[in-house]
Amino acid sequence: MRVVVRLFSTEALLLGRDQVQVDLPDEGPTCGALRQRLAAVEPGLTAALRTARFAVNHAFAPDGQPIAPGDEVALIGLVSGG
Amino acid sequence: MNVHVAIVAGPLAHAPPEPTFEGAGAVLRFDGIVRPQEAGSAIDALTYAVYEPMATRVLGALARRVVEQYALRGLIAEHSRGRVPRGACAFRLWVAATHRREGLLAMADFIEQLKRDVPIWKSPAVRADGAPPEPRAAELTTCGDAVAEEQA
Repeated sequence: MRVVVRLFSTEALLLGRDQVQVDLPDEGPTCGALRQRLAAVEPGLTAALRTARFAVNHAFAPDGQPIAPGDEVALIGLVSGG
Repeated sequence: MNVHVAIVAGPLAHAPPEPTFEGAGAVLRFDGIVRPQEAGSAIDALTYAVYEPMATRVLGALARRVVEQYALRGLIAEHSRGRVPRGACAFRLWVAATHRREGLLAMADFIEQLKRDVPIWKSPAVRADGAPPEPRAAELTTCGDAVAEEQA
């Protein structure tokens, strides 16, 4: 299953683009699997992935959360509003 | 009850009208102002990138949690997106409580969690002789021209 991960701020600057596509196994893809795969295919994100969180459909998602086809997935690094 | 959150394009009003909060004994207002310096460099502005609709949703959930936890009489939170010049207001929070203590605690709690969880990122526009360039398009994913808001 192909997952498009939206990127913002530091992570977008690191890769020079605001999204990245990752292929995950069709069987039970989760945020944790996505974290591992993303670190493998985009080494520039390795450090950020240690602390960044995923959001699925605009809500923070733990690593155990499944990802379904059509979900909107985002990598949320350190935020700096306020 | 007056509970409202919003993401607003550009700087917030310098002198906003005072909201009313029925039954409140303590009304607190916090203005987050863009400082003239960021990380040691003089700046012209901060640009806020906002991931919508998640930012408004997280703000709304935060408002509901804080209102309930501190038994508030009302809460209004507004945050800018896009460019905000130095000296202008980029974040405003009104908290209305029956008593002072709950209001002060609620205000600190709200701001701390906002800074942890609401997907908003600032980037500095350093003054002419300074360093970084304007943020690139990839950094400026926003909700477009619409103002996002939620009645919590």
